[in-house]
Amino acid sequence: MKRGALIAMILVPFAALYISLFIGRFDVSAADVARILASHFLPITRNWPASAETIVVQIRLPRAVMAIFVGSGLSISGAAYQGMFRNPLVSPDILGVSAASGFGAALALLCSRGAFALELIAFLFGILGVGLTYLLARTYRSTPILMLVLSGIIVAAFFSALLSGAKYVADPESRLPAITYWLLGSLNGTTMQSLAMALPPIVLGGAGLMLVRWRLNVLSMGEDEARSLGVRTDHLKGIIIVCTTLVTAAAVSVCGIVGWVGLVIPHLARMWVGPDHRVLLPAACSIGATYLLLIDDVARTASASEIPLGILTAMVGAPFFAYLLRRTQGAWQ
Amino acid sequence: MRMRPLWLAAAALLASSMPQPSSAQATRQVTDAAGRVVTLPVSVNRIADPWHANNATVLMLGGADKIVATTVQAQRQPWLRRLYPRIDQVPAAFNAAGDPNIETLIGARPDVILMAYDGSLPKWSAAMEAYHVPIVLMPNSSLAGLMTTVRITGQVLGAREAEVAEDYVRYFEGNIRRVRSVTSRLAASERPTVLHTASAGILTVDGRDTVIDDWITVAGGRNAAGVVGNGRPVTMEQVAAWDPDVIIVGTAPNQQSRQSILDDPRWREIKAVKAGRVLVNPTGAYLWDRHSAEAALQVLWAAKMLHPELFRSLDIKRETFDFYAKYFHYALTDDEYASIVNATGP
Repeated sequence: MKRGALIAMILVPFAALYISLFIGRFDVSAADVARILASHFLPITRNWPASAETIVVQIRLPRAVMAIFVGSGLSISGAAYQGMFRNPLVSPDILGVSAASGFGAALALLCSRGAFALELIAFLFGILGVGLTYLLARTYRSTPILMLVLSGIIVAAFFSALLSGAKYVADPESRLPAITYWLLGSLNGTTMQSLAMALPPIVLGGAGLMLVRWRLNVLSMGEDEARSLGVRTDHLKGIIIVCTTLVTAAAVSVCGIVGWVGLVIPHLARMWVGPDHRVLLPAACSIGATYLLLIDDVARTASASEIPLGILTAMVGAPFFAYLLRRTQGAWQ
Repeated sequence: MRMRPLWLAAAALLASSMPQPSSAQATRQVTDAAGRVVTLPVSVNRIADPWHANNATVLMLGGADKIVATTVQAQRQPWLRRLYPRIDQVPAAFNAAGDPNIETLIGARPDVILMAYDGSLPKWSAAMEAYHVPIVLMPNSSLAGLMTTVRITGQVLGAREAEVAEDYVRYFEGNIRRVRSVTSRLAASERPTVLHTASAGILTVDGRDTVIDDWITVAGGRNAAGVVGNGRPVTMEQVAAWDPDVIIVGTAPNQQSRQSILDDPRWREIKAVKAGRVLVNPTGAYLWDRHSAEAALQVLWAAKMLHPELFRSLDIKRETFDFYAKYFHYALTDDEYASIVNATGP
């Protein structure tokens, strides 16, 4: 891999993060933003309004950081799963994590728990959902891919039904819209507190995936081949599932269900750096972070109303994917 | 065509089993919000009310005993249940979305169905027309529409209820005049901007073309939310850009939602938070801020909250006691009043 690409991989998300802090509906001058940011490192007289500082430090910064971590987390999870399942149609929620998390969040919204409880319950339900899938798929001390996929479908269907049930009983004046908007995905609720909650599992799971990424190359050749090369495939699959679930459950619990990122970004990354997971995962990480950050910039600035993330990721992602697919005839796979 | 006699027999059986409008029954006509002239029996004794807020209006007009089908959402209103315990026994033929279980609804044998008009008849209206149950549509989404709704509801229920409706509309118009006589003199700069939040757990606000926008204007405020419609999701940064002078937290659980705003550092620099003007909207038989009978009190309450110095003589407690005594025939205690204005439920 070329050194230029590596540098771009690292620099572009940071550049996007920096630029995002200057974008927003609230009128803060670029000079003020730059000075507010610099004031955390340099001695600068604070002569900007307090509200400007709140906007940049409490609202824009946590939200942009969250977008970076959620975007990279979902993308890296998608890339890992696509390798593990040896299927380019796989997204990180194949084992039911989104449906289960969604139900957890709906439950928390129904019972009117605060934001902290909502994120925690959604996260735990996501873990629970994948746990159920794994138990269901476990046969003769192994977990065949086909069993995993089918169990994931079952668990997702079950939690989707529970979720619909929660929506059905929800108060239509307050709770039903809250659940509906939550499911459409948004980073609007991001605070320093939610960052503190979501980042550890995302970083932990992401780091885990990064550490096993060269073994993914072996696994993606097929389980029998991997086993014959001395890789303990069930062990490895277990690690990948645990890491991916940590990342996805944390991502979903803070921003709702954001589709397409985990499916499309790995393809984009593969087109850029090829199928070698050693570079594919970092590339997916970088592209995903930048992509979700830019999408979220649109979501929060395009109109006075917040545009749900899930709508934008699919509306931008699907046609873009279609375009790539037509142009390359799927050759990068 | 050997089958034909059987066909005819089946058709005849079907026809005879359909309820027929009795030609002898005297009828009357009501014009609804869609401009439809709806024919009703002279005396309406059984109504189905799929509009959550309107159930309390029917109670206020003295027609609640005629409700034979209601909604699960109406049954969830703690104050409606306190004022009218029978609401729990009425079949909830309509779910929270206002869609009926058709068989429960038909089984309730309503004379008429009262509905909010959202531009079209519901998809199940044909089924009810087959049973000759007329549907009366009533306007939504403005204070004037609310008064028309109360009037139509009264007319449908009967002469006695129509009289109460006229009395209520006079009272409501009186309240609006009373508030406007003060607030209409205010310059734009003297009108505080008001943000009305709409849901728990996620940031949504009420914008223009809503009842909320109407009463904010009457009460001498300006709606801070530059969006259109009820319950629009907005970003935290957009709220900061609007920087409202007053925040009113609507819909349950109001107190908890208010506290989460006060605890959130992102709201700290908003004018309303700095000035301690984050209020909870009262909730009674229905949410005062929505399309409810208590909107007549809402305009007074909002005026007092937005301009306490101009409405020093206005006693919301007195007004609420009188309103409940007159229209719900219920003598409030001090604690009960507190539970209404604080939206904590009885």
